[in-house]
Amino acid sequence: MSCTHINEKIDDYMDGALDDATTALLDEHIESCDSCRKTIKAAQSLHGLLKDYPVPTPDAAFFDQALAKATHVGAARLRNRWIMTGFGGAIAAVLVAWIIGGMLMQTPEGIDPAANIPGVTMALEEPRTVNLVFSSATTLNDAVLRVSLPTGIEVVGFAGQREITWMTSLQAGKNILPLKLIATTPHGGELLATLEHDDRDRTFRIRVNVT
Amino acid sequence: MNISDQNRSATFERLLRPHLDRLYRFAWRLTGSKAEAEDLFQDVLVKLFGQLDELVEIEKPGSWISRVLYNHFIDNRRRFARQRLVSVEEGQLPPGGVDSLPGPDSPERDAERADNIMRLDKALAELSEEHRHIVLLHDVEGYKFTEIQEITGAPVGTLKSRLHRARARLRKLLSDGGTF
Repeated sequence: MSCTHINEKIDDYMDGALDDATTALLDEHIESCDSCRKTIKAAQSLHGLLKDYPVPTPDAAFFDQALAKATHVGAARLRNRWIMTGFGGAIAAVLVAWIIGGMLMQTPEGIDPAANIPGVTMALEEPRTVNLVFSSATTLNDAVLRVSLPTGIEVVGFAGQREITWMTSLQAGKNILPLKLIATTPHGGELLATLEHDDRDRTFRIRVNVT
Repeated sequence: MNISDQNRSATFERLLRPHLDRLYRFAWRLTGSKAEAEDLFQDVLVKLFGQLDELVEIEKPGSWISRVLYNHFIDNRRRFARQRLVSVEEGQLPPGGVDSLPGPDSPERDAERADNIMRLDKALAELSEEHRHIVLLHDVEGYKFTEIQEITGAPVGTLKSRLHRARARLRKLLSDGGTF
């Protein structure tokens, strides 16, 4: 047994994967070789250090919260996957702008400036597109957008659904979600749009008037 | 097998819960920081929820789940950049790292242990990603070569060779640094 053999067999030796005869030969060499004894000692020290290499324990509730979020977000992703696209061409429809992070809600032109919340007016049974515009300072992956509709207001293609959830990603800059609405009753009401990302969420309201 | 919407959450939790601790440890080993590990872990749970129909068909899903996490990490390396394993001069190490991991021993022993862990952190950071992963999975977390093969896709022979070279490099780095 030579030093070269020790170097070749050191992993199996440390892992206890050698047969007894080979182990005995290695032991015999190590006993008489300062260099190999030093190598084995270093290997044993490294083994102990790696076994002692810690992982911080997550908060007690972390696993429960992670599971709950996974089912919530995962279910939303399964239901629908609408990807918002970057804000590009001219937008003819009503705009509702929302600045994420700064909590600044803008009331752009075309929306009732007297009201505390933006509003949009639509005719009964006539579809109208409302573009929700989100400005984000950074990319937001795996954000969840939830739209809650008042009675008698529907998203075209989602008849009878009062709440619709999308899993989406926001790019840095402006993002637009065109929401094609139709009023089935003359009552109107408030539409709520909530965006969730990580532990943060923001909700804004749009008053829908029907004429 | 299709699972009804009502049962998806319950089935998901029943299948995943036994693996959460190991999965979290794996995420932490790959990322090296609590925040990044939690993000990676959460991302993967969301992903796994979408693959529930496939998951229920697997008799022992441990390695399969780990592979999903590993692939997600590899695909998003830049996002989950290893925070803790950065090469810095002694004294410039960020606070709140290993010092926040108290051991069961005396303060002197704890200080020595923390110092050794810091040196190990630095030595691991010097390894290539493949070498670091094989050490962390096999020597630290105790995964078998066959499991690591299933997770990373690399053949067992390649993994053994990587481990041999990685251990030798670590021994040299730590010996040169005076740890051994």
